[in-house]
Amino acid sequence: MAAELVAAVDVGMTVEQIKASQMGMKALGAGIAVGLTGIGTGVAEMGIGSAAVGAVAENKDMFGLALLFTVIPETIVIFGLVVGLLLLFL
Amino acid sequence: MLAPKQMSRLLIAASRDQMAPVVAELYRHHLFHIEEFVEAGAEGYEGFKIGTPLSGASEASVDLVKIRAIENAASIHGDDIDSAKTCTRNELRSRIERELPVLEKEVEDLTVRRSQLDTRVKESEQRIAEITPFLALPADMDLYRGYTGFTVFAGYVAHEVALSVPCEIAYVPGKDKNFIVIVAPSGERNEVERALQAAAFQSVQIPEESGAPQARIDQYTADISSMRTEIEGIVQKLDAVRTKHSGFLVACEEFLRAEVEQTEAPLRFATTKQTFVAEGWIPSESVDSVTDALVKATGGKIYVTVLPIDLEHDNIPVEYNNPSFAKPTQVLIDVFSRPRYSEIDPTLMVSIVFPIFFGLILGDVGYGLILLAMAFGLRKFLKGEEGRQLLDVLRNASISSIFFGLLYSEFLGFAIPGLKPVMFSRHLMAEVAEGEAVASHGPMIPELMVMSIWIGILHITLGRILGMINHARQDHGEHRTKAVMANFGWLAVMWGILIAIWSIAAIPLMPNLTGLPSVVSLVNIGGVIGAVFVIVGVLFIARDSMLEVVELPSIISHVLSYARIVAVGLSSVAIAMVVNFIAIGMIIEPQLKNFTIFSIFIILAGLVIFLLGHALNVALGILGGGLHSIRLHYVEFFTKFYKGGGVKYIPFGMKRRFTED
Repeated sequence: MAAELVAAVDVGMTVEQIKASQMGMKALGAGIAVGLTGIGTGVAEMGIGSAAVGAVAENKDMFGLALLFTVIPETIVIFGLVVGLLLLFL
Repeated sequence: MLAPKQMSRLLIAASRDQMAPVVAELYRHHLFHIEEFVEAGAEGYEGFKIGTPLSGASEASVDLVKIRAIENAASIHGDDIDSAKTCTRNELRSRIERELPVLEKEVEDLTVRRSQLDTRVKESEQRIAEITPFLALPADMDLYRGYTGFTVFAGYVAHEVALSVPCEIAYVPGKDKNFIVIVAPSGERNEVERALQAAAFQSVQIPEESGAPQARIDQYTADISSMRTEIEGIVQKLDAVRTKHSGFLVACEEFLRAEVEQTEAPLRFATTKQTFVAEGWIPSESVDSVTDALVKATGGKIYVTVLPIDLEHDNIPVEYNNPSFAKPTQVLIDVFSRPRYSEIDPTLMVSIVFPIFFGLILGDVGYGLILLAMAFGLRKFLKGEEGRQLLDVLRNASISSIFFGLLYSEFLGFAIPGLKPVMFSRHLMAEVAEGEAVASHGPMIPELMVMSIWIGILHITLGRILGMINHARQDHGEHRTKAVMANFGWLAVMWGILIAIWSIAAIPLMPNLTGLPSVVSLVNIGGVIGAVFVIVGVLFIARDSMLEVVELPSIISHVLSYARIVAVGLSSVAIAMVVNFIAIGMIIEPQLKNFTIFSIFIILAGLVIFLLGHALNVALGILGGGLHSIRLHYVEFFTKFYKGGGVKYIPFGMKRRFTED
């Protein structure tokens, strides 16, 4: 509390303002985490997905394996989502 | 349960004249998976040759092709038709002889006429396209050709062309391109071509027509519409064929397919001049009944025996052996790969855990009810076996969704009034605003996360234990011990890391080992035990395969991957709540407070948003809940123990839907 007060005096903001801006920063961080990991997953799935569709077109039995390979990068965005949720609610 | 049906290898030998009754008997039983004979001089099969089809094979094939052509033309699919056993064999046979040629002629005439008309419609459309550019010019079409001393240029240019030679020019400026027709003496041809080239000339073919362009186009349009009417008439006639004959046609197809399959079966047998030998697989429980039936059908002139099985080298076909509630899930396992004969069949486990995951992700009474209605409603349209199985999977998942929806207290994103969440609440924007205690009603994210991690730990532990069992069953000698130990090693590393984490930090819902006596500054006994587990585990893994050590981080990523159960679920809750907030909180409620005539329209718009939003969320819910649950099985669970690649058990015979034996 004391540190926050000092900080508040330093930059000329009230404690409430600082708390609100900290919440905003958290929200931004969560957004960045989900957004960037989403892009990462998308980029990774792009190549796998097109190859998988090709493989399935050649041989339908590949479908299960192709699906498996395609969804592997999905873990990345889930990590982003987990980080985002933890930032917002923990 | 947990293992495929037990199979026996059956060898059937008899003289060639017994072939027909044997084949018919095997076909009727629908149990014998034929091991195809290949002329490769296998031991004991020297001098054997592939058999020849029984009599009647080619006639039946020809009829079958005809029937399939008719079905194709009238778009009849056996899967879309309810099974009904209408005809007996003899009745069908006589009807095929009597009615099939007539029907074939009728359908063929119709389809030929239809394709002729289709081509002519296309030709006429092409003609119209060719004439259209000349519409703007007053000249008749026959004035454009038939000259000896003149050349006619027609086409599109980028800009107007001025020519120094004597000529007639008609220029029609257009939006994108300008149409031009030039009539010039043939002697000046080169000059004109040069000028046109400068104007980026694209030549247009002069149509072989006569009369005014507009009149020709009208004529062709009239032709097209009359041909279209005729095509429609043909389509209606084909529809009439479908409604009238579809039952007969599917019955015929089934009957003839059975004939063809039976008459061609000898192609898969080993034969000599006088005898034939058929090898194949049969569920062990049916060996006696099939043997007795064969002996009876041939009057004892047959030799049937059970051969010993070589687990490693034989391609033993795999047939699931599951309790009825787990049967629909087989379709999900088949998508991945059928289990091998000697490995654990995970269908039962998936059939229990998959709906639980689905319910945890899409735990909402409203959505569950919608999906349940879909699972029953779509039955009318999906009549094939696989489709039915998928719908059954959806039914089980939606029931679980309703159950968990009650535990979460959710209905279309709203809290169910008067029902407190039994499980950790997922209401993101919930009651906090109304000033109630946050702890009991707000979203309990950390607890949910830890719960999902626990699910992951237990699921993966189960997978590794199954891996140990599979290796113990399938491998031999030194490799067997090493592989089992390596699986144990993976478990030890995972639990070691967990114990080490527990000894450092206190996590809700997990054992707290931070209070154990400390050894060195931050490290206490728990930490030491954890470290020992990890080291022992890594050693076991490395003993089996050094390369596997690289995969160690996957332990953490696989366990954390189960966090998707909560993450994906929360995102669907969030979408539902946002839809509710926009539709009701922002649009409908304010209008209800200040109600005017105009409000009715805005409220209707709010309702549309509400419906569309929830429809989208249901679609996302099926994708999210279904794909992520199955992915957790395929990627995180199966990779621990499951190899698959078993041969599908395809018994000789068919499940008759439209005909009787």
